[in-house]
Amino acid sequence: MSLPVAGGGIKAPSAEGPEAEIMLKLSDVSHSYHARKANFEYGIHTVLDGVSLTLKRGETLGVLGKNGAGKTTLLRLMAGILAPTRGDIQRVAGATYSLLTLGLGFQPQLTGRDNARLSALLQGATREEADACLEPVKAFSELGASFDEPVKTYSSGMLSRLGFSTALQTRVDVLLVDEVLSVGDRGFREKSAQAMRERMVGEQTVVLVSHLESQIAEVCDWAVWIDGGVVRCGGAVNRVLHAYQREVAARR
Amino acid sequence: MTLRRFWTLVDEMARMALRADASRFYFRYLWWILEPLLYVGVFFIVFDVLLGAGPPDFLVFLMCGKLTFVWFSKSVVQASRSIVDSKGLIGKIDLPKALFPLAVVQEGLYRQAAVFALLMLFLVAQGYAVTGAWLWLLPVALVNYLLIVGASLAGAYLVCLVFDFSLLISLAMVFLLFISGIFWDVRTLPDPAMTDWVLTLNPLAFLIDTYRQVLMFGRVPDVMHLAAVGLGAAALIAALLALMRRTGQFLALKALTS
Repeated sequence: MSLPVAGGGIKAPSAEGPEAEIMLKLSDVSHSYHARKANFEYGIHTVLDGVSLTLKRGETLGVLGKNGAGKTTLLRLMAGILAPTRGDIQRVAGATYSLLTLGLGFQPQLTGRDNARLSALLQGATREEADACLEPVKAFSELGASFDEPVKTYSSGMLSRLGFSTALQTRVDVLLVDEVLSVGDRGFREKSAQAMRERMVGEQTVVLVSHLESQIAEVCDWAVWIDGGVVRCGGAVNRVLHAYQREVAARR
Repeated sequence: MTLRRFWTLVDEMARMALRADASRFYFRYLWWILEPLLYVGVFFIVFDVLLGAGPPDFLVFLMCGKLTFVWFSKSVVQASRSIVDSKGLIGKIDLPKALFPLAVVQEGLYRQAAVFALLMLFLVAQGYAVTGAWLWLLPVALVNYLLIVGASLAGAYLVCLVFDFSLLISLAMVFLLFISGIFWDVRTLPDPAMTDWVLTLNPLAFLIDTYRQVLMFGRVPDVMHLAAVGLGAAALIAALLALMRRTGQFLALKALTS
């Protein structure tokens, strides 16, 4: 059963069985904040409203929705970066939750190597682990000698190569992916998509935000569609995609 | 996050920032000492050459005051904006927010080590004797460092809360520049009671005076006063670290929506 259930929220269509450990549980989560509209005038901006869902170990959840629907905020709440205004988020104590995005704000003056090292350290690696991941990052990114040049000399394609290769080294319990799968030229895009698929079909627990419906259909066990801060539909990927596409077609 | 990992990050972020900063300039690391010396030069021209009021050892007197004040003011001003400036990173990883101001302070500490070395070399070159009292520099600099950390954490918290504070902090630095006895001697004020007031109320004025007493006259500092300033700063740091820890997600929201 994959419909939203009061209290328990939506769950996957029993891909991993009931015995799989719950990695993340959102119960009636809302997020809003005071935003300035004009001088000295404030209004409450609600980003998410009453979202409930449960994610088990090894699952890959796809999140669909147009720009401004609240997808990134949802990931930030899941990662513990932001606190919910209302509702409750349960994580597993000691487990790591990390948002994977292209480049943790690279410093343009530093080399690709230094930036990759800093990213690894920020994501929880020790100095030794960070140093050890540099050669794999260099090899995967295919940046060659440019890896030791300042990032300010990089083209946007080279930047995304560095970003993806660095992100790929992240080892976390729950990986929260914010649209990073299609980067670089065609060759690198295919290679990175393949590397990402390998991560997702394994034991890794993943939440994937994407505009690419084909990507969600391909790698996700189940999906939710977020619209205007609420879950419009959740459950089997086909069903959610169908509802999403019908709505998009109707709006045209 | 363990304390060890926290300090690894502070140290690495500071080193990377130093490297990134140096690569921007033609003279690179030379600016570490060039910039503070130029500050001293500006003040020397105004107060000694132009106004002609300085005592014979005014340059050394000025260096002791200005070089330590620049350490404080630059660190605090930069650290105050550090959380807001790091919103790109804050939106991606849940990091302790104190990390950002502390990395900036650490960056300043590494620079200041070079500046202190220069100051001591200059004193020796000017014929000042290296005495055992110079060892007092260590606790004095430590208390100075604690004061910088406390003020930086407070500044970073306030600026994150309401960005307008960044303007007030810059203004406060100008005020401190004038009332901390950098180009005038707090001990030669016409009213001795006023000297006591300034030294008691302004820990920065006390520290600057202490640097001079130690370096120029080889005197032992007022240990009780020094300990009181150090303990006060340590208490402020402990309170702000606890506050930042408790309000980390709130600060992230503030930084992301500012």
